[in-house]
Formats: sequence, C-alpha cells, structure tokens
Amino acid sequence: MITITTQVNGVPRQLSVRPNQLLLEVLRDDLNLRGAVEGCGVGVCGSCTVLLDRKPISSCLMLAANVDGREITTIEGLGSGETLDPVQQAFLDHQAFQCGYCTPGMIMAVKGLLYRNPRATVDEIADYLSGNVCRCGTYLEVMRAARAVIAAQVETTG
Amino acid sequence: MTGAVQYAVDLRMPGMLVARALRSHLPHARVLSIDTTRAREVPGAVILTRDDLAGTRSRFGPVFKDQPVVAIDKVRFVGDLVAVVAAEDLDSADEAISLIEVEYEALPAVFDPREALLPSAPILHDPADFVDGSGTADTIQPGVEGFEGFPDGNLCCSAHFESGDTAKGFAGADRIFEDTYSCDPIQHAHLEPHAALAYWEGPGSLVIHCSTQDPWVVRSELAYIFKVEPSAVRVIVPSVGGGYGGKLYPRIEPVVAALARKARRPVQWVLTREEVFMTLTRHGASVRLKTGVTRDGRLIARQVEVVYDGGAYAEISPRVVVQNAPVAAGPYRIPHVSVDCHAVYTNKPPAGAFRGFGVPQIVWAYESQMDDMAHALGVDPVELRRKNLYQEGDAYLTGERLDGVGVEQCLSAVAAAIPPIARSGVREGQPRQRLVRGRGLACSIKSTMTPSNSVASVRLDPDGSLQVLASGVEIGQGYTTILAQVAADALGVSLERVRVLKPDTDVTPFDHGTKSSRLTFTVGEAVRRATIDIRGQLLDMAADKLEVARDDLVIEHDQIRVRGTNVVLGIPDAFKARFGLPVGNLYGDAVVQTTGGLAHGTYRGKDSAFWMWSAAAVEVEVDTQTGKWRLVRIASAVDVGRAINPVQCHLQNEGAATMGIGAALMEGLVHDGGQPLNSSFVSYPVPSMEDVPQDFQSVLVEAPHPDGPYGAKGVGESGLLAVAPAIGNALADALPGVRLRNLPMRPADVFAALSGAATQPGEAPR
Repeated sequence: MITITTQVNGVPRQLSVRPNQLLLEVLRDDLNLRGAVEGCGVGVCGSCTVLLDRKPISSCLMLAANVDGREITTIEGLGSGETLDPVQQAFLDHQAFQCGYCTPGMIMAVKGLLYRNPRATVDEIADYLSGNVCRCGTYLEVMRAARAVIAAQVETTG
Repeated sequence: MTGAVQYAVDLRMPGMLVARALRSHLPHARVLSIDTTRAREVPGAVILTRDDLAGTRSRFGPVFKDQPVVAIDKVRFVGDLVAVVAAEDLDSADEAISLIEVEYEALPAVFDPREALLPSAPILHDPADFVDGSGTADTIQPGVEGFEGFPDGNLCCSAHFESGDTAKGFAGADRIFEDTYSCDPIQHAHLEPHAALAYWEGPGSLVIHCSTQDPWVVRSELAYIFKVEPSAVRVIVPSVGGGYGGKLYPRIEPVVAALARKARRPVQWVLTREEVFMTLTRHGASVRLKTGVTRDGRLIARQVEVVYDGGAYAEISPRVVVQNAPVAAGPYRIPHVSVDCHAVYTNKPPAGAFRGFGVPQIVWAYESQMDDMAHALGVDPVELRRKNLYQEGDAYLTGERLDGVGVEQCLSAVAAAIPPIARSGVREGQPRQRLVRGRGLACSIKSTMTPSNSVASVRLDPDGSLQVLASGVEIGQGYTTILAQVAADALGVSLERVRVLKPDTDVTPFDHGTKSSRLTFTVGEAVRRATIDIRGQLLDMAADKLEVARDDLVIEHDQIRVRGTNVVLGIPDAFKARFGLPVGNLYGDAVVQTTGGLAHGTYRGKDSAFWMWSAAAVEVEVDTQTGKWRLVRIASAVDVGRAINPVQCHLQNEGAATMGIGAALMEGLVHDGGQPLNSSFVSYPVPSMEDVPQDFQSVLVEAPHPDGPYGAKGVGESGLLAVAPAIGNALADALPGVRLRNLPMRPADVFAALSGAATQPGEAPR
C-alpha cells in the first residue's frame, strides 16, 4: 500500500491506496463519492471526469498514487449547502440532462472549461466538451447551459 | 446534478460479493468440460457453471426459451457466458476466472444471415431444448397471426403480411424499382452498463435491484427460471443510466440471481464496457425492396423482404418480425403490399430491442428508394411523398382507421425548415468542387406494441400529497415528470404535491415495460383515470361536509372550492370531515389495456394502439477529396399527439435524432470470424457534441389521438427513424450518381463510392 496526501473537495486527506488502484475506485469505494461513474474504462466517454488541480481528467485512467500532493474536485464538492454551483444551476435551468449518468462528468468538464477559457465560443465549447459523451443526446441543452454560465460570468467580470 | 442519484452500480450491501464472468472466445463450440478445481482454491470464490443449474429451468427468453443462464452444451458467440464467479473483490474474482479450465470442441460457425439459411450452414439450436414454457413474458406466442411459430434450423422466426394482390399491382405499374439496402448491427451504448444486485431472503424468495426497463417481465422470467411463485420475486429498479431498449427483457438478472443463490450472500454484477458490447445489439438487416409506381407518381405495389441478423439467441426477434411486417410498407397508401420479415440465428451477439425496434433499418430502405424514384421520375421528392402519404381517417393496410395522422405536417415542417440547395446550371459533366452540399429528407411510420397493459394506483394522503404508484421506468425520458403533471392536472393540485414512486414489484402495480414509446399513452392514461377516481372520492367527502352538490365543486390550488364562491375546504379538512382526524388515504386505481391483433388469414384488425409519425431533413457538406462529411443543419419533426411536456418531447426528439446521426455517420459493430473488433468507445465512437449541428430544429407536430391522455401519443422513438435516410438522400443530392446503400456511411465508405463506379438507381428491367 502507498500512503498519499491529497485534498478532496477542499478537505485534506491521507489515504492508503494500492499501487494499481485507480482514482475513480478510491473516490467511489473508499471515499463514498459516487457521482463520478465509469462509462468506458478507457478515458474517452468522460463519465468519470473530476478536476485535478482545476483540470478535468478521466479518473478511470489516473492511478490514485499519482494524485499525491494534488487537489481533487468532484461533483460533490460543487456548491455549498443548499446553493448549487452556477454550472449545476444552469444545467437544471436548461434541462441539460436526461438519464443523468453523464451529468456529473459533463458538469465537471464545463467547470474545467471555465477555468481554462472563461470566454469560450460555441465552437470552443463543442471542441472542449467533445470528450464527454451524452448517449441520450442532450448536447443542445448542455451547450445552452454552458453558454449561459459563460455569458453570466462575462457580465459580472466585464 | 449533485452526484446524489443512485444507480444500480452505486448500490452496496453488507456482505455483498462482486462478480466477474468467463466468456467464450470461440463463436461456436461444444463445451466438453469445465474444470473449476484450481479456481475454487481462491479464498471466498463462488463459481457458477452449468453444474449449478439443478432445480432451475436453466433456459429463458421472452418468446423462445433458448438462452441458457450459463452455457450448457454449447457456446454460440464470442462472449457467450460460460461461468461466473462471485468473490469479496474484483481482483479475487478475476484470479478465479483465470484458473477455470474449459475444454471446447470448436464447431463450424456462420455469421451472415443469408448464409445461415443455406442447407450447408451449421445449426445453432435444437428447438427441442427449449419447448417448455414458451411465451411467459411477451405477447407474441406461436399462433399469433402471420407468425410461423418455432424456429426451423437457423430461421429463428418469420412473419408474413399481405394486402391486395402484388402480382396484379406490379402488372399495372409503369415503373418498377428494386434494390437491396442494409445496415450493420449497432450497440445501445447506454453509459450505465448492465448492473444488478441480488439476494435471497430464504430459499424461495428473491430480491433483485437491477438496471432494467422491464421490472415485471424480469420478475416473471426469474420466477419461471427458479420455479418460484412470481410474488416471491421482488424486482426493484433504482435510477437507470440510459436504456434505449438495451435493458428490456432479462439480461444479467438470471445469472446474478443464480450466483446469489449459490453464494447465499448478496451478489452485485456490473458489466465492463467490453461486455456490454457483447450483450445485445440492434439487428443488422438487409432489406430487399421492390416498388411499382405509376407514371404520375402513385405507389401501387410494394414487395418487401427483411432479413434481420438475430445473433445467437431469439431474444425479442419474434415480436420484431411480427410487429414490423405491416409497417415495412411505409407511411404510404399502397393498394398492393406483400411483406416477409425473417430473423435468423448467427454466431454473433444476440440482437434485440433498440429504440425504433427494427423499423429504422426498413425506413433506411424505403426512404432511400423514394428519392431514387423521385429522381428517376423527375419529380420533387417532397411532392412524391405528399402524393402518397396517409391522411387522417384513412384506412390502413389492416383495415383499421388511422387516427391522429401527423406525417404530412411533419414532412412539410422539415421541408420548409431546410429548403433544397439552390443550384444554377447543369452539374452533370462539370468538374466536382472540393466541398459540396446536399439536402435530403425522409419520413416514417412506426406502430407500438399492441396489446399491452399498464396499471396505476394513486394515493392521496391527508396532507394533500399524491403518490403515484406505477412500474414505468425513468430512463431519462422524463416519465416521472409527465406522470406528475398528469396527476397534478387531473386532481387540481400543484406539481410539487405529487411524488412518482420508482418501480418495486412488491409495491408498484403491473406494467408491460418501458418500451415501444408506450408509457405516456398507457401509464399516463392509467394515472389520469386513477386520479379522476380519487378526485371523485374527495369531492364526495367535500360535498358532504359543505352540503353542496358534487358538481358545484372544483379543485384548484390544492383546495376544494364551491364554484363561483369564496367557500373553500382544504384537503386535510376534507379528510377530517370524513375520518374525524386528518388520517387515512384515498386510493384510485386504473387498468389500461390496449387491444388489438390481426385476424388469422386475413391480416385484418387493429395493429397498433397509436402510430408514430416523423420526418427529418438535413443539409450535409461533403469533402469530395476525402469523403468526410458533416451535418450543416438538421430538422426533425415528430408527431406527439399532444405535447404534455414540450421540453421533454424536444429532448426525446433531439436525443433520438442524435442516435440516428450516429447510425448514419459512425456506428457499426465489426466482427471478423465472429471476433468482435470494436467493443470499446475508442473503436466504436458514438456522437459527441461536435457531431451534432447547433443548427438543429426540433419540431413538435400535434395530431391528437382520441385514446391518449389529452391526445398524447408516444415520442421516444419517432425522432430516430427518418434521420439516416435523410442523410443518405442528402449525400446522394450532393454527389450525383452516388448512392450508399449500407449503414453506416463512414467517410471511407463515401470515399470508396466516389472513387468507384457511380451506382445507379436500381430500376428493374421490365
């Protein structure tokens, strides 16, 4: 077993992980954070997306041992108390989900987009989110939600 | 949204074991021996093989009982289950799997359905193995009109339909067109894999939490397999992460229940993505289509032969062939029609229900041919369709009256949304530009499973909250919202007062399954009637208390009011008036049974409780040097009868159309000698946000149906049906002389068609 120190959703954690244990397994099985889910197991569907130092990653491909000293944010870490994160709220407002299985990963990808490119254009949004599959096909609504968050953010920050 | 939704993959129980499977690596083989000696030495490993099926019926299936719980005498495709192991953790289960030794005797295998019908083909099944208990789970049984009954060699099932006299029809035709169109098998790719958690409460009582669209059918099948009373099986359905038909009928539930029975502990099994690709597919199909048309563009005769690749097990293929035999003729008035639908066993993963239920493969054929005919006749493709489309009140092929026919409105809407490409001059003989555009459209008809049955029970609590008990499954289609809207409206309370329970067969009443776009029409109508029943009871209580006639009362804003006055009574007060305290419940129940069926020998009767009509139009841009193409714009129009929840209707339409885009552009399962070559999202991509144009017009047409709640009908599948042929027609429009007749139309296929001899519309010699 390997001991790692990490921050998960702002909470410092010391975790004992197996050398071959994936970050997704640690989150789901050891920390009971089950919003991120496995969709493909090979890092192309985006269902397991979490933020590692504010960058979206596929937690199904990341060894837990590699997140030592780094900061993880999962869907459970968004918002505070009863208040949703603006991205979550935008997904709700725009009905940007159907079965919901991809939604936590999709929302985390949008969070990552906002950190990286807070004024992303439609084409940039589509390109950035192309690694997050929604098999229900809710892409138009996800686009509307992402654009709404970006527009609101641009308005506040000028 | 917050990660709090619980799917079957999220469930955990104290003492729970997890499972892995050993699957066949051969497409067809006799299983000579299975040695588990070494595997049993792995601590805690519980192994299930054919030797553990004693006391069970060992084979299941919705129509034919041809699927073994685990392989018995043979394996029939690469991926067929040979053994499953439950253990404390996945590593231990994997280790035990690696230690199981299986001796096979390889058998000749067959992968092409038409080859499978040749006398020399190896035979997959001996129907003598599965004669017992046919037809426990579905409405299709031997004896249904047009259905040929039991498999004959590799011919799994067939259905024939006819109307008029095609020989006469073709004799009177001015032009006859004949072509064969085909579709590769594709996969549902629901992001949540199949998952189930089972445990036995004593020897005769099974509880299973599973990601299914079909709780009551799973219940009856499990009871059948384990020889227990259906009431001894409890099926509980958590949130489901996508289904699209892939979670209809039992999938992994029988083997998980068998494993839990042996382990005497809860067992959870979650499939890997690779396994999901081997579990169920949409039928590959080839469609031979012959159509006779008059000089002025009236379709007068059509002969259709559909051969579905059923894969290794019958699954629901029998209903696919029966249900689609009439609609294979398309949404057009054609006096002389003859259809043969077959499903054939091959050594590939079984094919089953998939959004569209075998219809998209046929629409692909008849709508591609429609454009070829329009081109050959020199008429506008929209006008050719309009001239032949069914109209409100028309008699259908089966003699039944068509109510709620919105197909022409759908067609007109998409044709207007995406007009033809304006072109000047002659294109023939001119050098091709690098980027060219084309526009295409298509329209379609689909029936719904008929008869079918839905029961709803609605409970009003003294606090004025309403609980809806029904066994439809929320798979992302917005079912819970729509039921809540129906109940809230029928009683006159606000939406927040209504809670729709998740299916639990110990609690929620019978339903025929989340399939065939039927939930709003049947469950919705049952909820409406059940709530009206409660409304009557509540008004009676209030009328007694207020000493007025019941007809003078209305319910609005969560309270009862005497019409035209300010006299109101709260719901808790109505309960108090009747029971002395705000206690007790009011219950309302309703059963909705759609009826239908065709008379033997005449093919007359009622084929469908309602009809799904849709149309799609697209504009594509093709790179003529590479074959790469993209959708510039798309419009999809679906007839919803009445949009109870327009937002959800649009989501269904857009989502279904997106699946149609995937089937046209990129999706196709590739097998080589029975070995699957693309069982991963790397090698089997599905549409991403970049594949769906932002210029996407979703149109809801409302041609109300008299039997649906508020006139509504199903919309879950409609948006998928016409998209692929619309794209094919747009490519043909962009590239004169090029007609692709197989789905998908990957850029490489377009490139090959551009490079090779241009294919001509297939007009048969007269």
